[in-house]
Amino acid sequence: MIWLEGVSTLRAGRPALSDVMLGVSGGELVVVHGPTGSGKSSLLAVAAGIRAPDSGAVWIGNHNIVGLQASSLPYVRRNVGYLSPEPLLIPDETVLENIMLALAVRGQAIDSAEADARETLAMVGDSAWEGRLAKSLSTGQQRLVALARALVGPPPLVVVDEPASGMGAEEREGIARALIWARDRGCAVLCATSDPGFAEMLVDVGGRRVDVEAGRIAGAPAIGLVPNPVHLVEQGEAKSGDAAEVIRLSDRRSSGEESS
Amino acid sequence: MTFGWILRRARRQTASARRAVWAAAASFLILGLVGGAAVLGLRATRGWMNTVGQGVHVIAFLRDDVNAEQVSQLVDRLQRQPSVARVHVVEPAEALVRLRDAAQPATGSWLADLEPGYFPRSIEVALAASADLAPRAAELSRRLRGLDGVTGVDAMTEGVARLAAWVRFGQRLGWAVVLAAGIAALSFLVGSVLRGREARRRQAQVLVILGETAGNIRLPANIALAAAGLAGALAALVVLRLAWPAVLVAVERGLGIAPVPVGFFLGFWESAIGLTTALVLGWVLGYVSTPVPGWVDA
Repeated sequence: MIWLEGVSTLRAGRPALSDVMLGVSGGELVVVHGPTGSGKSSLLAVAAGIRAPDSGAVWIGNHNIVGLQASSLPYVRRNVGYLSPEPLLIPDETVLENIMLALAVRGQAIDSAEADARETLAMVGDSAWEGRLAKSLSTGQQRLVALARALVGPPPLVVVDEPASGMGAEEREGIARALIWARDRGCAVLCATSDPGFAEMLVDVGGRRVDVEAGRIAGAPAIGLVPNPVHLVEQGEAKSGDAAEVIRLSDRRSSGEESS
Repeated sequence: MTFGWILRRARRQTASARRAVWAAAASFLILGLVGGAAVLGLRATRGWMNTVGQGVHVIAFLRDDVNAEQVSQLVDRLQRQPSVARVHVVEPAEALVRLRDAAQPATGSWLADLEPGYFPRSIEVALAASADLAPRAAELSRRLRGLDGVTGVDAMTEGVARLAAWVRFGQRLGWAVVLAAGIAALSFLVGSVLRGREARRRQAQVLVILGETAGNIRLPANIALAAAGLAGALAALVVLRLAWPAVLVAVERGLGIAPVPVGFFLGFWESAIGLTTALVLGWVLGYVSTPVPGWVDA
C-alpha cells in the first residue's frame, strides 16, 4: 500500500535518504528503527506524502504521488494518518475538534465524527481531555492527541513518527496497542522510533523491523512482500496486479543484490 | 470537507479570533461611513454649488399675467443699470430642468410628475463685483418689489461669493479627510487581518497534512471576513441613513444656506455597489490572510 522506490532526499544540502526501497502492505506493521539523525523522519514524511523526495517514486495505493499535481496531493494525503515528530495541533481548538478534523477532511458527518473521535481519544489518551484547548496540554499529551488524530477512522495508511517519545511504560503499551488495533483493521502501519525497547515491543506483537542508518536501509531487504494482496483490492486502492508487481519488483531487486 | 464542516470551521475560527473579526468589521464600518459620506457630501456640495455658482444676486419672480413685452421692457431697464452685470430670464421649463439636474437620481419619482406650469417665470440679476455688493443688491431688491408684475424678490446677498469660496475649500478639505480616513481604516483592516496570519498558517499546515484542499482551507476565513465586511458595510448604511439628514441640515444651517433639493440618501445601486465591494474585499482578505503550503517541511 506504501511503496518507496529508489527514494533520495537532501536535507540542508546533505543526503537524508539515499536510494531507499521500502514497502508496507495493508495489515502490516513496519517499525523503522535508527538513531537520531539517521533519516527516519525524512523517510516517514516522504512516505506520508508530506514532503517531496528529490528523486525516486512514492506509491501510495496505485498513485505515484511524485508525479501528481499539487492540487491532487490532498486527495492522497487524506488516506494517510500522519503523526509528525512535533505534534502539529491547532492550539486554540479543543482536543476533540482537533481529532475530528481528520474525519472532517474525509467528509464524514459531524455527529459520527464526534463519536469516532471520542472513541479514539479514549483508546489512546484520556476522555477527560476532549473539551480542553490543545495548547493547555503538556507536550506528551499533545503527542497522544496527535496520535489519536492519525488513527481516527482509521485511514488505510498510518504513518507515525516517534509516537512513544518521552512516554512512560503504561503509555507506551497503550500506544503499541493502538497501533496493533489499526493494523488489525487492515491499515498499513509505518512507525519510526529511536527507542530500541519500543521497537522490540512492536516486533514482539508481529511488527517487521527495518533499521535505518545514515539514510539507508540496513541489513535485510526492506521490501515488504504483500501478505494479503486481496486486501488492496478490497480497499479499492489497487488491482491485484499491483500487488503481484510489488512482489516481482521485490524478487528482482533481491536477486540483483545477491548476484552483485 | 462538506459545506456543514466549512460553516462550522468558519464559526469556530470567528469565535477563537473574535477580536480580529470585530476589528475587521469595525474597519469596514469606518470605510463604509467614509465612502458613503464622501458620495453624499459630494452630492450636497454639488447642489450648493449649483445655486451658488450661478452668481445670481437677486431673483425677481413675475406674475403669470406678465406678457413677453413687459418682461423685455423690465430686462432692458435692468440692463441699463450701471451695477448690473447680467440679466437672465428663467422660463418655467428651464426652472424645472434645473431642479431635476440638481436633484440627482435618488430623489425619487415625484420630480417626474412635475410640470413647468408649477414654476413662476423669474428674472435673475447678477451684479458687477464690488465691495458694496450686498447693499447694492438690497437696494435693487427694494426697487424691484415696487414694480408692477413682480410678485416677490429674493435678495441672495449675504456672503454668496464667500459661501462659494468656502464650499470649494470645504470640498477639497473633505476629499483630503476622506482620503486620510480611508487609508487609515484600510491600513487598520489589513493590519488586523494580517496579525492573525501566523496562527492561520499553522492551522493551514495542520489541514494540509490531513489532506484538505487549499480552497477549503481558505474558505472559512473567506466566509468569516466576507461576513465581517458585509456586516460592517450594512451598519455603515444604517448609521448614514439615520445620521446623514441631521448632519446635512446642521451643515446647511451652519453655512446659512437654504436646504438644497437633493436626494439625502444613497440610491439602490450605490448601496448595492458598496455592499458588494465590502463582501469582495472581505473575501480577498480572507484569501490573502491564509497562506497554504503545497508540500510541508514537517
